[in-house]
Amino acid sequence: MKNQIYILLFLICCYGCEDFVEVELPDSQLTGTTVFNDPNTANAALAHIYTRLRDTGFLTGSSLGSTTAMGLYADELKYFGGAGTSNLELYNNALLPSSSVASQLWNESYYLIYCSNAVIEGVEQSQALETDDRNRFSGEAHFLRALVHFYLLNAYGDIPYVTTTNYEQNRLVSRMPATEVYTRIIADLDTAIALLPIEDLTGERVRPNRGAAYAMMARVLLYLGQWSEAADAASAVINDSQYFWETDLDLVFLRQSSSTIWQAKPLQEGDNTYEARAFIFLEGPPPTMSLTQGLIDSFEAGDLRKLHWVGSVTDGIDTWYYPYKYKQNTNTGTSVEYSVLLRLAEQYLIRAEARARQGELIGAVADLNKVRARAGLGATEATTAEDIVSAVLEERRHELFTEYGHRFFDLKRTGGLDAALSEVKPGWDTHDRLWPVPETEILANPNLLPQNIGY
Amino acid sequence: MKIISLNKGCFAFILGLLLWCSHMHANYLRHDITISYWQSAVSGTVSDAARSLPGVTVFVKGKSISTITDEKGQYSINAALGDTLVFSFIGYKEVEYVVDSSTLDVLLAEDAAQLQEVVINAGYYSVKEKESTGSIARITNEEIRDQPVANVLGTMQGRMAGVDITQDNGMPGGGFQIRIRGTNSLRADGNEPLYLIDGVPFSSESIGAPNTSGVFITMTNPLNSINPADIASIEVLKDADATAIYGSRGANGVVLITTKKGKAGKTTFSTEASTAFAKVGRFAELLNTREYIAMREQAVASDGLTEIPEWATDINGIWDRNRYTDWQKELIGGTARITDLRASMSGGSAGTQFLLSGNYRTETTVMPGDFQYDKGAVHFTANHRSQDEKFTISFSGNYVFQKNNQAATDLSGVALTLAPNAPALYDDQGNLNWENGTFENPLAALNSNFLARTNSLTANTVLSYQLFNGLQLKSSFGYNEILNEERRTTPSTVFNPAYGLDSSVSGLNISQTALRSWIIEPQVNYNLRIGKGTLTALVGTSFQSQRTKRLFESGNGFSSNSLINDLASAASISVLRSDETIYKYQAAFARLNYNFDSRYIVNITGRRDGSSRFGPGRQFANFGAVGAAWLLSNESWLKDNTILSFGKLRGSYGITGNDQIGDYQFLDTYTSTGVAYQGTNGLEPSRLYNPAFGWETNRKLELGLETGFFKDRIFITASFYTNRSSDQLVGIHLPGTTGFTTLNANLGATVENRGVEFTLRTENLKYDGLSWTTTFNISANRNKLLSFPGLVASPYANTYVIGESVNIRKLYHYTGVDPQSGIYTFEDVNGDGTLSSLGDRSRIVDFAPKYFGGLLNQFTWKRLQLDVFLQFVKQERFEFNAGARGTWVNQLRGNQTGWQQPGDVSSQQVLTLGYNGAAMEAYDRYTSSDAAVVDASYLKLKNVSLSYDLPLNDAKPLKCLIFVQGQNLLTFTKYKGSDPEFKFAGQLPPLRVISSGVRLTF
Repeated sequence: MKNQIYILLFLICCYGCEDFVEVELPDSQLTGTTVFNDPNTANAALAHIYTRLRDTGFLTGSSLGSTTAMGLYADELKYFGGAGTSNLELYNNALLPSSSVASQLWNESYYLIYCSNAVIEGVEQSQALETDDRNRFSGEAHFLRALVHFYLLNAYGDIPYVTTTNYEQNRLVSRMPATEVYTRIIADLDTAIALLPIEDLTGERVRPNRGAAYAMMARVLLYLGQWSEAADAASAVINDSQYFWETDLDLVFLRQSSSTIWQAKPLQEGDNTYEARAFIFLEGPPPTMSLTQGLIDSFEAGDLRKLHWVGSVTDGIDTWYYPYKYKQNTNTGTSVEYSVLLRLAEQYLIRAEARARQGELIGAVADLNKVRARAGLGATEATTAEDIVSAVLEERRHELFTEYGHRFFDLKRTGGLDAALSEVKPGWDTHDRLWPVPETEILANPNLLPQNIGY
Repeated sequence: MKIISLNKGCFAFILGLLLWCSHMHANYLRHDITISYWQSAVSGTVSDAARSLPGVTVFVKGKSISTITDEKGQYSINAALGDTLVFSFIGYKEVEYVVDSSTLDVLLAEDAAQLQEVVINAGYYSVKEKESTGSIARITNEEIRDQPVANVLGTMQGRMAGVDITQDNGMPGGGFQIRIRGTNSLRADGNEPLYLIDGVPFSSESIGAPNTSGVFITMTNPLNSINPADIASIEVLKDADATAIYGSRGANGVVLITTKKGKAGKTTFSTEASTAFAKVGRFAELLNTREYIAMREQAVASDGLTEIPEWATDINGIWDRNRYTDWQKELIGGTARITDLRASMSGGSAGTQFLLSGNYRTETTVMPGDFQYDKGAVHFTANHRSQDEKFTISFSGNYVFQKNNQAATDLSGVALTLAPNAPALYDDQGNLNWENGTFENPLAALNSNFLARTNSLTANTVLSYQLFNGLQLKSSFGYNEILNEERRTTPSTVFNPAYGLDSSVSGLNISQTALRSWIIEPQVNYNLRIGKGTLTALVGTSFQSQRTKRLFESGNGFSSNSLINDLASAASISVLRSDETIYKYQAAFARLNYNFDSRYIVNITGRRDGSSRFGPGRQFANFGAVGAAWLLSNESWLKDNTILSFGKLRGSYGITGNDQIGDYQFLDTYTSTGVAYQGTNGLEPSRLYNPAFGWETNRKLELGLETGFFKDRIFITASFYTNRSSDQLVGIHLPGTTGFTTLNANLGATVENRGVEFTLRTENLKYDGLSWTTTFNISANRNKLLSFPGLVASPYANTYVIGESVNIRKLYHYTGVDPQSGIYTFEDVNGDGTLSSLGDRSRIVDFAPKYFGGLLNQFTWKRLQLDVFLQFVKQERFEFNAGARGTWVNQLRGNQTGWQQPGDVSSQQVLTLGYNGAAMEAYDRYTSSDAAVVDASYLKLKNVSLSYDLPLNDAKPLKCLIFVQGQNLLTFTKYKGSDPEFKFAGQLPPLRVISSGVRLTF
């Protein structure tokens, strides 16, 4: 009998409740619904998007972003680094559907779009957020969604516009004609304009507000050739009293610059920009890249930007140049420069071009001269609409060089790629105007066919 | 299939059954106790040819009287004249003597040939090899100690049928990949077996952080924390019969590691010291400077350039065009030195035995620089049996500490691609040479340091109590702890000084992982003799909890690079991850085995499992198997057959599972990233949300034949198996437009692995101190995707093909160089006029090994022993391609000249510096074509071990053994790269190690 009791006891010990295998969430995770019921955690979900935007993707200033990629791909940057890198592929205009740079930027962009959609949906379903927070978060997410799609569109051509987190839908999406993508970008920017606050709540312009949405809208409308709307959107920014024209070239890219509309805050206090880290070099020949001689030679005599925004190194025989808009490539204790994502000069140039194209020549010349004056240049000599447009495009080349691919996109939208590049880029081919849709993506979702011509 | 469930009804039934049995047994016992007339003590000494044997079991046949010999090999037992005494001891032939006087000295003979008498560990129970119904491969310390390798998987390579092991790379502390009977899961990291050390699960999940992973590409593999020198045996459970008792974790096989135990008898000390030298055994044959420059110049010409571009400093005169360096020799051609010291002490009485051992090993690297991998281990074990032999307790503890200080970069890739005329590594002052900023000095990467410290403790206690004859209560308590700390520095000195960067950009990454798990497994064992048969039953439960704590930090910006190892000195510090994850697991398992007259054996096992890795309602599942064996040779009509000495036919069928999906994957959550914006740490969506995934199930069917001929001097086994994995638990590959690249879900796909394993052991010669035995194994596995509903519409449509292996790649079919354009051409399969990966990659190549195996010859001549082991693999791999010919990378010799003008017939296309878009694109296709697939089969002289037992005075206990061992001595292959054995191309190949040492025992 005693033995039987032992066995009984033993087996009771063995018997466990099935809820032994229930576990609590780890400390570092929150459920989706919790995140959007608290403004602080909802804000953290957006903060994540800004960190990724700053560190990877089209808008990072590091060599992974469009500044370097499009600079090498067009005629701004010359490559010196070693073999077998994505940068060499870009510089040689030899991208392949299997190129890692093509798939990296594609995937990163759609990841950012997913995160933006998650914020939009989370805010929509949230019970607890105040209206102000609700509008601001949703407005920023709509703005970001439009922004990322804009870069995707301009790099890859027709692309899917993704507006949900539902993977069953997203895994089967098809490419959409560019005009349709633009319609959606504009719709999202309209939403953002309606929802975003007018003021800058951060004190240092590191989150987009209504001005940023208008600035982006102006660029989109310019690309679409909707001149009067583009001019109006640019005016909305230019007339906004928060933004002043910075007359000193050396102050334009400082963190306190009054002409900045939106900029990216570095990770830590004391950090400066990725651009400075990527571009500045002290000895020649350059370790990875320099500005092309073509760009240097195209500056008008007396252009102060060539002095203030271009650095140079010489070994006594050769001289090499690098972008020097950002001057701090080390940690300075207190940050001095932030990467400027949107700034006032572009808005003047947008309005100048849009006005010229509509025949508003006086206003166009005034806007153009505003930019030229700061660079120490006299008033433009262009008088006809056509000449003014050309002058504006030339001005854009010198004002906006190595900033998020402006040069390449300008050549592309004005049909000037072949004329400008086939002479100076041995690898250039007309079909290089579009990047290839990544091969892995087509294999995973054949709805993305057809591939861009030439790949 | 519901074998056993945790519900109370079933338990009540089992309990009832046990109580009923115990009642029966009590009657049986009472009947059995007969009192001998004329009983007296018989005593004597048991020895083998060399020495007395402690711990030999002596019992009176047909009676329940037994004893074991003491440390002098002496015994004393109560027996009557005419009784039969049986002497049994593992590794020796059992003998019987009829008592005819009061002293009886016995000489036992070693039982090397009678392998089937060996008792093998099957996890929750052990079984004589001849009576096993399952498929279990085994190696013992004898083979392990022959090999100068630091990783437990390295010791198994090629020596076990059905177990395919590949070494990732030759870096000290590098990992191995194991596949037991093929790839079951489509999920790349869902094919790991379950590891148990003395019954304690040992997590094989990678530890550390990607930011600190350093030289290994993959993260740190914890299996290095197992010290091969402390292993007594390794058993690999392969079929359903053996693995189903491990339920949800048995699908990919189970690796049981048993550590050494103490032996009763005189206390013995043993020490061993060895030194080894290791070098890269095989280099690729690359172009020399003349050939390289010629290739590059031809590329300039073919690109139609009139002058060499400014960026091409290797040929435009900025670099010396005549300089030549053999970069493989320079960067990975060094000699690593390995020192290994061991000491152990063991002994004990018949009731209590212990073993204490220590081991220290240190290894340098073949790369330049002062790098070292140190590993130390302490192993302690103690066993105790109470005087009445009812209660036993055993304890084993293993503590291993490792310190691995390596360069954060493997220079092997650079060594293969660097231009042969690249400048010197150092300038005249002995500083790194950057050739005025034009040369990315590969040694700069060595300034970035990787340091890992891993401490691991595995401890296990097993208590058992024999309640009455036949019934045993047993419980094991296991604990496992792995503490891993890794750091990787990125000082500003890794960058070209032309950037003008200082220590304010230097970075430090630290990761700390602590993995602690405990397991409690109470169980009941019951034995009952029924007629001519024996019934063995086992019921048990298992509770396991594993906590993994991770802290990943990074610091950036230091006032000086000499402070780079101090996180507090960083200008900015961020915590990238700080959390604790929990994995909980519970199960109930049972085994019922009936052995009828050692002729017919049935073995039924089952397990009900619950895992916290699945969402509510999906946590539990049932697994089980039936195995049976027929021992032909014990049938009366074969018993006295002079040719066939052993014959067994066995088979099994059952279901096992797989829960290797990671923790918390069923939850819809946001995770803190530790990366801040405006001081707010980001929260990122953790994953695409799918709560509806559950166990992957694996159905295994096996048939085996084991035969011994001529007193087992020839022993042959053959196994045939078919395993089918369904409900594939995978991270489904999704297009990037979903925001993620994977989603965890069960796929309806079924994968089949079907294969044959064959082993042969022959005792070729045994004569007057001379013996020669041969062991051979060969395995072939065929993998096949049986079904995949919705494959066409899924993201896998272009990865898998129904009816083909899951290890295939779809490739272009190469059709040669077009003599007109000079570009590689490929078959346009769909005839649409252009080549596209979707329509034209129609060639299917299977990259799984076709067959593999090993051949071991062991020669013993008096005191000399020589073991020679050959390993072979039949496989195809991609050839080594560093980049398009003509671009700024070195090439394998023979690839350097290309097509030059229309009409040329060439095997290589037109060379290019990279400007020729069509050629670059064609090269890219070439690397994804069947032309790039080459035969990478190899035969390796994997191990040679020669030892000599010095002829000292035999009367004295001192023994001295000297030995020489070699690993990876020779490789025979058609493969043109450095070594055909690799996980990722361009990594340090496995090293050739030659070791020599001395072992003293006294």
